[in-house]
Amino acid sequence: MMGKRANFVIVAFVLVLAPLFVSTALGQVQTRLRIIEASNVGSGIDPALKDIRNQLGSPLNFTSYKLLRDESLSLALNRPQKIQVHETVSLEITLTKQQKEKAVYQIRIFRKGSEILDTKARLSPGRTLIVGGPEHRQGNIIFAISARF
Amino acid sequence: MKESCSSISRLLEKYFDRETTGDEGILVQDHLRQCAACQAQLKSMEELRATLRAPVDEAVQKETFAWVWQKIEREIQDRAKPSWRESIRAWFGLSFPFRRRVWIPAVAAALLIVAIGSPLFFKETPSQTELSIVEYVQSDTNNVMVFESERENVAIIWLFEGAEGDPFS
Amino acid sequence: MGLEEADLISRCQNGDQAAMKEIFDKYHDKIYRVAYGVVRHREEALDIVQEVFIKLFRTIGNFKGKSTFYTYVYRTAMNTAIDHVRKLKKSTSLSFEDDAERYLSDGPEKRPDQVAMDKELEEKVKGALAKLPDDQRAAIIFREVEGLSYQEMAKAMSCSMGTVMSRLHYGRKKLQQLLRGYVKEGGKT
Repeated sequence: MMGKRANFVIVAFVLVLAPLFVSTALGQVQTRLRIIEASNVGSGIDPALKDIRNQLGSPLNFTSYKLLRDESLSLALNRPQKIQVHETVSLEITLTKQQKEKAVYQIRIFRKGSEILDTKARLSPGRTLIVGGPEHRQGNIIFAISARF
Repeated sequence: MKESCSSISRLLEKYFDRETTGDEGILVQDHLRQCAACQAQLKSMEELRATLRAPVDEAVQKETFAWVWQKIEREIQDRAKPSWRESIRAWFGLSFPFRRRVWIPAVAAALLIVAIGSPLFFKETPSQTELSIVEYVQSDTNNVMVFESERENVAIIWLFEGAEGDPFS
Repeated sequence: MGLEEADLISRCQNGDQAAMKEIFDKYHDKIYRVAYGVVRHREEALDIVQEVFIKLFRTIGNFKGKSTFYTYVYRTAMNTAIDHVRKLKKSTSLSFEDDAERYLSDGPEKRPDQVAMDKELEEKVKGALAKLPDDQRAAIIFREVEGLSYQEMAKAMSCSMGTVMSRLHYGRKKLQQLLRGYVKEGGKT
């Protein structure tokens, strides 16, 4: 009797949650986040940024791009991840939607705990989103975000 | 008797690596006192070592590793989480023989539901050229500019902070 | 293997994160030195460090203490670095032979001509190391960069001391030929 009841519960559980499992399986996206210092002091582009050289060129007109950090994030749906860039600037990134070849991110930037930017963007394979502007030392911080499906 | 360079050459490397025995070391030192060629060879090995080592020493000194540990820790924690299968099994207290009985019908039922239900739950939006990848930007404190070019595969969101923050000039 | 390290490993095997952090603190420099020695590139070396520790913590349950732990660490680090180089060669990722861009450092400002010379030399060294067979490259890095003794090298590379000396000898000879003009070579008459 107990065996049959548990049998039924298991099958019902799987039937109800199967679609959710499918969506959860889709919800893990490898997100690459590169934190770059852009400035007009000196010249040259970090060799590790060659793949996005075109995006960092015109219309941005900095003479120097230096890679500060290169992170690979495993983001689950609607679970924000916060990255401290330096003492006063942090970035929060959330995967809000994921389809077969498209991921939607909400990106928030904070300065001394207060939000200074909130944006949402869609990324497809091969596409890199550049979010920049917070001042850093003699230049500005740039975040280069891309997704791997 | 003076040792020849050819007999000393293998010992020279051992000497350079401080791996010679006492007697071997004396033999090499005696030879080096009289042989400019082997002195030059020793010097050459020192310079090769310095060339290989110096950039590594410099790189290690400059590096901070705290954030590397954070990444590793996150990765370990993600891997340590039990799979959903293990969680369910633990919750129901299933034993192995019992699990075998429900597994096949459960998988069959799940596959059937996914096959029937997927089109209902996941409607494919018709593909179309989407010129804008940025859905919105918002800042209560700063001016923001969005630049997108489909042709050049460029999408830039720029937050203007301070008078010197304009990279487009 | 000392009692203290055996205890640390045992705690790691039981999933103790504090013990894993201790192991990280103890070995990250050594692994970075091996990785950087092989790939001569900061980001790749850091990727390798991360990969090595994840491998170590994932397989630490299989470590039975037959060799010392640091030998096990060195062997894993070198194998991972060499695999990384092999994968890079196969992939179509960025080539670093271009000398069009300069990498800026945080260190004291060097003269531009010195920076250019250093960069050129590093590229030559990287290219020369890549031309060595894996075993000779491993021997060179263990000895010249890490300063391991012949005995430690023999354990890390699972070979005899005679083989270690032979690999070192041929590796050094080949590097001196490849770097002629960049590193002074001893002359024999």
